[in-house]
Amino acid sequence: MESQQSFFDFIQQQSGKLLEQTLQHIGLTFISLLIAVLIGVPLGILISRKRGLAAPVLGMAGVLQTIPSIALLGFMIPLLGIGPKPAIVALFLYALLPIIRNTYTGIKEVDPAMTAAATGMGMSRRQLLYRIQLPLAMPVLLAGIRTATVINVGVATLAAYIAAGGLGEFIFGGIALNNTHMILAGAIPAALLAILFDGLLSLLQRVQLRKARMPLYALPLLLLLLSSFYLLPAATGGRLLAGFTPEFMGRRDGYLGLKHVYGLRLRTVVINDMIMYKAAYEKKLDLISGSSTDGRVKAFDLVVLDDDKHIFPPYYAAPIVRQATLDQYPELAPALNRLSGMINDSIMTELNYRVDYLKQDPAAVARDFLAAKGLWQPPKDGSKGVVRIGSKIFGDGYILANMYKMLVEGYTDLQAVTKTGLGGTRICFDALVNGQIDLYPEYTGTGLLVILQEPQAVIDSLISDPQKVYAHVQRAFAARYGIRWLPPIGFNNTYALMMRRQQASELHIKKISDLKDAER
Amino acid sequence: MIKLEHVYKRFNTQQEPAVADVSFEVHPGETLVLLGTSGSGKTTTLRMINRLVTPDSGQIYVNGRAVQEQHPETLRRSIGYVLQDNGLFPHYTVAENIGVVPALLEWDKARIADRTDTLMEKLHLPPAQYRDAYPAQLSGGQQQRVGLARALAADPPVLLMDEPFGALDPVTRASVRREFQALDELQNKTVVIVTHDVQEAFELGTRIGLMDSGRLQQLGTPAELLFTPANDFVRAFFREHHLLLELKALTLADIKAYLPPTAEDDSYQAHVLPGTTSCWDALQAAMNTEGVLSVDFSTEVFTMDSKSLMTALSSRKHEASNKQ
Repeated sequence: MESQQSFFDFIQQQSGKLLEQTLQHIGLTFISLLIAVLIGVPLGILISRKRGLAAPVLGMAGVLQTIPSIALLGFMIPLLGIGPKPAIVALFLYALLPIIRNTYTGIKEVDPAMTAAATGMGMSRRQLLYRIQLPLAMPVLLAGIRTATVINVGVATLAAYIAAGGLGEFIFGGIALNNTHMILAGAIPAALLAILFDGLLSLLQRVQLRKARMPLYALPLLLLLLSSFYLLPAATGGRLLAGFTPEFMGRRDGYLGLKHVYGLRLRTVVINDMIMYKAAYEKKLDLISGSSTDGRVKAFDLVVLDDDKHIFPPYYAAPIVRQATLDQYPELAPALNRLSGMINDSIMTELNYRVDYLKQDPAAVARDFLAAKGLWQPPKDGSKGVVRIGSKIFGDGYILANMYKMLVEGYTDLQAVTKTGLGGTRICFDALVNGQIDLYPEYTGTGLLVILQEPQAVIDSLISDPQKVYAHVQRAFAARYGIRWLPPIGFNNTYALMMRRQQASELHIKKISDLKDAER
Repeated sequence: MIKLEHVYKRFNTQQEPAVADVSFEVHPGETLVLLGTSGSGKTTTLRMINRLVTPDSGQIYVNGRAVQEQHPETLRRSIGYVLQDNGLFPHYTVAENIGVVPALLEWDKARIADRTDTLMEKLHLPPAQYRDAYPAQLSGGQQQRVGLARALAADPPVLLMDEPFGALDPVTRASVRREFQALDELQNKTVVIVTHDVQEAFELGTRIGLMDSGRLQQLGTPAELLFTPANDFVRAFFREHHLLLELKALTLADIKAYLPPTAEDDSYQAHVLPGTTSCWDALQAAMNTEGVLSVDFSTEVFTMDSKSLMTALSSRKHEASNKQ
């Protein structure tokens, strides 16, 4: 019951933000739906008349539908920047196929006897369309709009990745911060919206069976009304526009620290970290929250601002392993430890640059590195058992997971399987605790702040000393979860604020404190 | 009223023409039946008259004007059209269905309502009960009557009917057909009916055009098709139902010469039939009046029974075959 209570507390605390996000979500869904109806229905009518166009038009819309949503959003950025515009366009493209297809199918499946009768009575093509074909196709057409609505409510959560707002801000923030209440505060309203709109449209569908002409007028009005909910985020604040990940926005060692310790009042939008660097490079954003070893820092010529008041805690990477696995295979720890102390910040940035920007295969990059350090050995037979190595979806993880796989297979008789792309901290760590993976590379700061969620007093006593943080997480993980921290790899992948090199030098910004002056 | 000249039509998907070199004329007030099996081209011929199908060559005239020169919508609004499976609009009420063409012609509402009610009454569909019903709530026979009312709503001089009774069961069909024949609205209308039903053709048609493989095999009165077939196809087509068709094709006047003379002292029968009655109907009437009938040939009155009728028929047939 306690968690129930605090969920409602969370909702109450965040009710303003929740309402804003919900309205944004509804607005995004229906603006795009309205455009899709305005374009899709006439297109559907057109291809029902010129049947030769049907295959290419439906094919095109079908291809659009198959593009993964995050990729589609990514394509939009160079064209439309970030914010609501690319989100609406992407949602519109997803809504298009069901609407075109159902309009086409609905009209095509009108009994030919009806069309013959109407034409034979002396109806013109326009009269035939409005009096016979559209009313008779209406149930099918509305079913298409229903499908598109439900798709849009779902995909609109991804709008949070490109600074367009919506309930995705809570969902992705919650996942990144391991905050169940926050996830639910986004997910439950999103699900309710989908159910609600589906129900409303099915009601409309039933009404039309009796009188076909009503929804013809009701639908556009309803769409317009709902679209108007989307109020573009008011542009207030300073000159610099900051784009932060949902995770960074909710963390004490992130945006909250910038506000309280540095006293910064930034104009912020929420954005996905995969898109963030490019958006900064293309001058859609001025300030972003990145990780110091990210390859794109190098690729996009960004500078990391000096954290002169030390709000970012140490994030030293180290493999964390289930104690049970270490006990079962004693030879595992020495194999993994061969990497300890081998990679510093600049090496990691370089490795990430090769993977993220030069698009080299993480496995090849890992192998080249190990070979250069004289650590690579051909795999042994792998007959003794299987070790499953996980990683988060960020660059570091892929490369390290591949290195560990090679080390395990080269130095032990174990077979290693990588499960990369396990999303954020939450997903990865749950997989480890539940025994779906045996180890993955984690950061000391994440362990302390996100997983352990220690009281502020404990954190304050540790945070300035990397050694103390490491010792604390090592002790606490062993006691609480039966998970062991092996020695650190060497690099510190901490949070960092970064800007375009040119802009930073124009504004004479070197450290975070300098931002305060630039804001004025 | 309607005239076709060397009309030819081939559909893109087919090798053989659907309609080849068809010419005929339908006189004002006449009912012409296009008879044939499915695929014989009769429906295509019908649909070319109201321009639902465009002929590849040949000319079609309605009311003395070539249809190609008339605006298709205007042309169609002046031609009543009845479809096989009635083609009623499921989302329109009965009254709205009947009022489709008047609405297209922009009659005022009161006039449309008035006309709709009149037609519904004539077709035995009480307006109070059925006006606001939807087609799905009606029986097949009622739906077909609504279809007929819809075609007649704007009082068009020409009526095209495509298998109008084809979707009905035999019993309903006979009753709707009888109603149709008795309808005063049909007086003075030029009607073209497409059917594959031989009996129907003989009952309804002033003349019958028998079609096969897109060609008009023979055009004439029922009796002409039956007794002077133009070719083997026509002869074979009617063979199965020959006796029945003869009874329907011949009127009492046709067999008057072969009826036995009436004795002076024969009592004048209460039941009098006009000479234009078909032999079939006379036989049915004879059954209801214990066998004896009077026939009024306007110049003289004959008395006959079913036996003398059949004898007259067979002696007529005998004589006809001797002539050949």
